[in-house]
Formats: sequence, structure tokens, C-alpha cells
Amino acid sequence: MKEDGRFKTNIPWLIFLTAIIVLPIIVRSNYIVSVMFFVAIYGMLSIGMGLLMGQAGLFSLAHPTWFGLGAYIPGILSARGIIPPLPGIFVGAICVALIAYIVGAPVLRLRGFYLACATFAIILIAQVVAAQLTNLTGGPEGLVGIPALSLGGFVFKTDLHFYYLSWAFCLGCYWFCSNLINSRIGCAMKSFHDSEVASQSIGVNVAKYKLQIFILTAVMASFAGSIFCFYLRFAVPDSFGFPLLVELLMMIIIGGVGHLRGPLTGTFVVLWLTELIHGYLGKIFPVMTSEVDAIFFGILIIIVLIFMPRGLTGWIDQLINLGRKLYDRFRGSTT
Amino acid sequence: MTLLSQIIQYAISGITSGSIYAIVGICWSTVFLISGVMNFATGEFVMLGGMLTWVFFDAGLGLAYAVILAITCTVLIAILLERIVIRPVRYPTEMTYMLITIASASVIKGIILITCGSETRTVKPFIEIEPINILGATLIPQAIVVTGVLVIVTLGLLWFFNYTLFGKALRASSINQIAASLIGVDVSKFRLFCFGLAGALGALAGIVITPIAFTGYNIGLMAALKGLVVAIVGGWSIGGTVLAGLALGLVEGFVAGFISTGWKDALALSIMVLFLIFQTIDFSRRRRKIFP
Repeated sequence: MKEDGRFKTNIPWLIFLTAIIVLPIIVRSNYIVSVMFFVAIYGMLSIGMGLLMGQAGLFSLAHPTWFGLGAYIPGILSARGIIPPLPGIFVGAICVALIAYIVGAPVLRLRGFYLACATFAIILIAQVVAAQLTNLTGGPEGLVGIPALSLGGFVFKTDLHFYYLSWAFCLGCYWFCSNLINSRIGCAMKSFHDSEVASQSIGVNVAKYKLQIFILTAVMASFAGSIFCFYLRFAVPDSFGFPLLVELLMMIIIGGVGHLRGPLTGTFVVLWLTELIHGYLGKIFPVMTSEVDAIFFGILIIIVLIFMPRGLTGWIDQLINLGRKLYDRFRGSTT
Repeated sequence: MTLLSQIIQYAISGITSGSIYAIVGICWSTVFLISGVMNFATGEFVMLGGMLTWVFFDAGLGLAYAVILAITCTVLIAILLERIVIRPVRYPTEMTYMLITIASASVIKGIILITCGSETRTVKPFIEIEPINILGATLIPQAIVVTGVLVIVTLGLLWFFNYTLFGKALRASSINQIAASLIGVDVSKFRLFCFGLAGALGALAGIVITPIAFTGYNIGLMAALKGLVVAIVGGWSIGGTVLAGLALGLVEGFVAGFISTGWKDALALSIMVLFLIFQTIDFSRRRRKIFP
């Protein structure tokens, strides 16, 4: 029975996996591949954030910082020639985990809104630090001279290479997180999301699990940042700040945080909508910066929060349930 | 320039910006205490005040009319925000409110960017007298206006909250909304009023600072954060907020003057983070361990 259930749930997952692998072979468009690359990168970030917010109930906004640190640490190390790019990614992840531990241990004692404020402040502090340490990070002009990522003799050059690399990491994260949710830690997370006092009283070490999940998502974000950095081979402090945060929140809200597929769906929808908006409205408005996008997405967030508080995936689930009920009733009336 | 005059100069600029932080902090706390909404659009009220004044002033209206019109428009926008965006939320939690106000802030910002452009704007000072010289430091008249506005706002609000029936009812409903509505206080109207008040105060702050620090479409975020820092450190009360605002302004002024202007923004935010962490530490724990 259990095997059967597992097999059933795996079918959509396999279809998705094949679709991702086959997509660049069928559509030989560089544009689509590069947008899907960004879907994977942002997907890793938003899965982590969705896990934190939806499952653990931790309203931590510091993800752009982990993303930025994940980009800067391997970037600086490899640009200086200290460590080659590929080990640099893992060194970066370890550094980010350490920093997340140091930051998270005191900050995660805060609750609700105050946690959001403190982590929000951390983003801006990190941005100021990155802009001020000019001789280390290149300052506001950005970090340049990052070498190409290579694995053995294979050099990651085209969008296609990065597409597969990023999706491998993204699907790995997704798989890991979906297993995590069903594990002991996942149950603990759900319990302290609902009531911290109750879960503490039955012996869940809330502080420990909170810190663990915080560090885990930080490391995921750091991997995303590293790949992003080696793709662009350039890093500026401005790309890891408030606009990125708004974009991530948008993806999570539009997708819905009830299930892990929500943030990924949200990422897909938001990035393709951005491309559509740029394509169609670029002619009308002279300046199409991220702030102009923010008008549309701001309105979208408001609409989603008011009319479908569980996001797009929650809404679709509701529709499917409704359809099933109607179908059952229809069948019941005819027989 | 001697050290003394330098110190006075930095103190003046610190108090000027501190006054603005204090007013913005009061905006945060009025909205938060009554409605429980963390209004991240507060910074956009500040920005709207400055930008709309510039728009109306540029259109040929007198300065006084421009100021009044700007404040009225911002109050209307704040009220609309409450009615259209915040009230219809079905499952109100702190987080939903926070996200929805962040979203509306970015909408307001984007609309101002499209309509008014991305250049920085300024208007002429309100009183045109020569800058005053104090021991080698110059006191620009607009700084007096800013501080005066803070004094008037603080005294006015203290009087309003302590000596009028309406203000007392507002305080009552901030303490316990259900109890207040049981004895006949219309809490939902109060929320509307508080958003209007926050809009007016934010716009006022944005207007008086415009002649000194230029305004632009993107000043909202930093203004909002400074106000938030001040409101949290000040413990959400008017007196505390004003004191915290002036203190933060002074510290920032000296840091910017003697160390570096780049680190100024990080300073305020680190103060907030450290303050929040400090609050979570339970100092009685050690004693409890000794006397179980």
C-alpha cells in the first residue's frame, strides 16, 4: 500500500523531470533557456524561503543576503586566485552556514514581526558593508575578474551548461526539502509553526530546529548565489537588496506557501510575467526598470493576498476539489 | 573650522534629521498601536509629501497652497490605502499586513517614478532669512522650521492623546480593541483616522525636509526604516520615539561627520538589531538558577 502511494506521487515528479531535461533539446531558443535558468536560480531561493515561512513559520527576510554572500565569497576567492571556482562554491556555502549560525542564533530568538524587521535590517547592513569595503568587494561598481566555472576539464560557458547545472541544484534542493518536510524535523517544524509552547511542552527543541532550518535554507541560497555569480561573472551590492527581496516575496505569495511546489510555480509565473511585461510594455513606457515592474507586481500581490490568500497553487487545489465534488454530485444524481 | 564649531555643526544637522526620524517614528506607532498594521508605506507618505509639494509648486501654485494640497492628497492616499488594500484582507495576520504594505509601497513608488521622473527635486526654503552663525557653525533657517514642526507635532499629539475625549478613546482602543468596542468605540473608524494622521504627519515630515535634503522617488525606504528603528527603540510611545529620534539623529550626525557618511545607514539598522536582540535576553534567568 505504501509502495503504491509512493509510486503514484512520483508520476508528476517524473514528468516534470523529463520536461526539464528535454526542454532545451526541443526548443532550441537561447532566450527560453536563459529565462529558465533564472527560474531555477530564483526557485532555489524561493523554495528555501517558502520552507521557512510556510512550514516553519519563521518570517526571515535575510535570503538576499545569503544569496549575495554566496555570490561574493566564491567570487572574491576565485578572482584573487586563492581557490578555484568549483571548490569555492562549497567553501562559500560553509562560510555562509557559519555566518548564518552566528547571525541566526541571537536573531531567531525574536518572533513574528520583530524577526522580520531584524532580518530586513541585516539585508541593508550587508549591502552597506559590501558597498563600503571597496578594496575587498570592488565597492558599488561591482566585483569583476571572476574566472569561468570549470569541472575537471569541462568549462561552463553557454546558457545551456548553466541551465543543467542550475536545475540539477534546484531539483536537488526541492527533493531534499520535500523529504525534509515528511521527516522528523518536518513534523517538528509543523508543530512549532502551529504552537511553539505546545511543541516545547512535548519535548521539541524549538530553538535547535529553528536554527537548523535557517542555516539549511541559507546554504541553499548560497549555492544559488554562487551559480548566479559564475554565470554573470560579475557581482554588485545592489542586486542583493530590497528589490530582490520584493521579487522573492512576490514569487512566494503568488505561488502560495502551503506546499513546496508553490514557490517554484510562483517563480515560474513571476519571471515569465516579467518577460511578457517587458516585451509588451517596453514600447509604452520609456524606462522599464524593476521599479516599474513593481507597480504591476505590487498590484498582483495585493490582489492575490486579498482574493486568494493561499496563492495560485492553493487556489488551483481548491478548484480541483470543487470540480471533484461537483462531479461526484453529478454522478450521484444520475445513478 | 575648529573642533567646537564642527561639533556644533554636526549636532545641528543631527537634530534636524533626528526630528524627521521622530515624526516618521510617530507615524509608525500611531498606525501600529491602533490597528496592528506594520505600515511599510509610511516612507512613501514622506516621499509623497515632498514630491507632491514639488509638483504643485512647479505647476505655479504658491508654496503655502502647494503644502496644503500635498498634505491633503497624501491623507487621501493613506485613507484609500486603508480602505482598498488593508481592510479587505480576509485572513489578517501581522505578516499579511506587512507584505501588503510593502507591495503598496512599491506601487506608489513606481507610479511616482513614471509620473514625476527619477530626478531629485527640491523646493525653496520656507523662511528666507540669512543663515545664522553660531561659533563658526552655520544654522540654516530651514533647520529651525524642521525642529519647530517636531515641537508642534509632539506637543499637539500629547495634548490630543491626553486631554481630548477622542484621543483618550484612541488610546483606550490601542490598549484593548475588544473592550473599547464593547463600550461603544467605533474601532474601524479609528483605524481610518490613524492612517489619515500618519499620512498627514509623514507628508509634513517630507515637506519640511525637502529644502534641505533633496527628495526623489526612492527616499521612502530609508525614511521608513529610520522611522521604524526609532519607533522600536522608543518603545512605540510618543515621548520615547521623540527622544530616540533625536538621539539617533545626533549619533548619525557625529558618525557621518567624524567617521564616514557611507556607514551611517548601517549604524541605525545595527542599533535596531542589537536592541531587539538585547530585549530577548532574559536577565532574571541566572538568578532563577541560583534560587530555583
